[in-house]
Amino acid sequence: GEQPFSEPPGDDRSRARSPSGSSSGAWRGMATVAGPGEEGSGGGFSFELCARNAKLAATLPQGSRLPAAMKTGTTICGVVYKDGVVLGADTRATGGSEVADKNCAKIHYLAPNIYCCGAGTAADTEQTTALISSQLELLRLSTGTQSRVVAAVTLLKRMLFRYQGHVSAALVLGGVDVAGAHLYQIYPQGSTGKLPYVTMGSGSLAAMSVFETGYRDDMDEADAVDLVKDAIFGGIFNDLGSGSNCDITIIRSATGLAEERRNFRTPNDVGQLRALYARPASLVPPPGATAILETQVEIFDAQPMDL
Amino acid sequence: SRARRGRSRKEMSTIVRRCDGGAERVWQASGGPTEHKFDPYDFNGGTTLAISGEDFVMVAADTRMSSGYSILSRKVSKLHKVGERTMLAAAGCQTDVVALVNTLQTRHRMYVHQTGKGMTTTALAQMLSNTLYYKRFFPYYAFNVLAGLDADGKGAVYSYDAIGSFQRVPFSASGSGQSYVIPLLDNILCHKNRQDPQPPLTPQLAVEFAKEAFVSAGERDIHTGDAVEIAVVTKDGITTETFQLKQD
Repeated sequence: GEQPFSEPPGDDRSRARSPSGSSSGAWRGMATVAGPGEEGSGGGFSFELCARNAKLAATLPQGSRLPAAMKTGTTICGVVYKDGVVLGADTRATGGSEVADKNCAKIHYLAPNIYCCGAGTAADTEQTTALISSQLELLRLSTGTQSRVVAAVTLLKRMLFRYQGHVSAALVLGGVDVAGAHLYQIYPQGSTGKLPYVTMGSGSLAAMSVFETGYRDDMDEADAVDLVKDAIFGGIFNDLGSGSNCDITIIRSATGLAEERRNFRTPNDVGQLRALYARPASLVPPPGATAILETQVEIFDAQPMDL
Repeated sequence: SRARRGRSRKEMSTIVRRCDGGAERVWQASGGPTEHKFDPYDFNGGTTLAISGEDFVMVAADTRMSSGYSILSRKVSKLHKVGERTMLAAAGCQTDVVALVNTLQTRHRMYVHQTGKGMTTTALAQMLSNTLYYKRFFPYYAFNVLAGLDADGKGAVYSYDAIGSFQRVPFSASGSGQSYVIPLLDNILCHKNRQDPQPPLTPQLAVEFAKEAFVSAGERDIHTGDAVEIAVVTKDGITTETFQLKQD
């Protein structure tokens, strides 16, 4: 197949490895990455399976489609305040118009002093942040110093640009280091912006409207957390791709450490809603409701093992 | 012409009005035939449900109207009265639904003027089917459920596709959340695949089923939520209640 991308020398760590090569289980995806030493490898994507996926889609019965990759829909945001940076995210993951996960975690750990919110394709944000987190730890072991936020940003943008936007990860990265508190936005194509407040995802416009109204320089922690919470709520209630709960992570300059507040607010608890009406009794089938058609019992002669 | 002086035939111009009131001619190279796409439909979301009983029918629909990932309104009614004792619940493209409802209501009004009586539910069901098939080649993007009392006073629910194929059914759900509602109701309403005794269906129980169905559909369908409007039609009239759902 054609190999449009040339691999930079010595950059083996950044390539995804699949044990059985480029055709393994990729029925869900459009392309795979060639491993080292394979025929025609030079890095980058092999697009051979796109033609096969198109043929497969054409042979499907009328009305059914290949499953879509799970996207997070999403509202993510971050704000720099007087003593550090606050990151926020909603917790809904969608596949098309279905909610695939009502409480997924979108704020990913990169380093003790650096966290990253991810929007876009869920697998891409998970794997990309995990990869860069691993690279940062190896770098910490080799340099003996705290990770710098700009190092995380550079590793991410170099990888994302190499994949030309096919790795659909839109990130809000925040952290503190010796140079202060930093907040970045990173686009799937590889461009970055360093700003005092950022929002990404399908709910970014709703969140940004809250930020543009309420942001001030050098806020204190309570105000910053409140602003981020309001921005995420703007996305949760006004964007259909975002919903459920609000997660918050605070990274403080003084300690260089983060406080994760998972499910900081849960304004969409369905338990409270279900308490407002009488639930039908037939929701709970009594014992014997399901017909038993056949009974088969197998006895395994189990002996406890002696170790 | 003077405007074209010096320009090749491959260039096309448009007049652009400037915000200062003036105008200028802007030239650009035309790349050949341009296809203009006519895309008249929009999907405004929503789920509807109707359940028929011995002497009543319950019909429910959520009140959210959306387009893409945005909410256009949290309070749009998808329940429409078309006869004396008949309700139409329809999700899909809101403008098509409104146009369809207006057509049906107008034709019903004319029927009343001409015959002195209201249309029966069965007659309305057939008229809706005919109205939909009339636009077989540019359909109303509406997922309809018609509910009312039949000639014997029993609850009747009719379920439609976009071009008018219809069938009387014990219950029907349609719209974006139908895949979540139908299996639930198959189990708790029709007691499919279970052999415990089925309690008699009262209007109160039907309303409970509707709330349960919409809360569950609202959990997993992004287009369903905000509130559900529930109407119960009996020989004595139509009672409506609104139950708040999650707004995320």
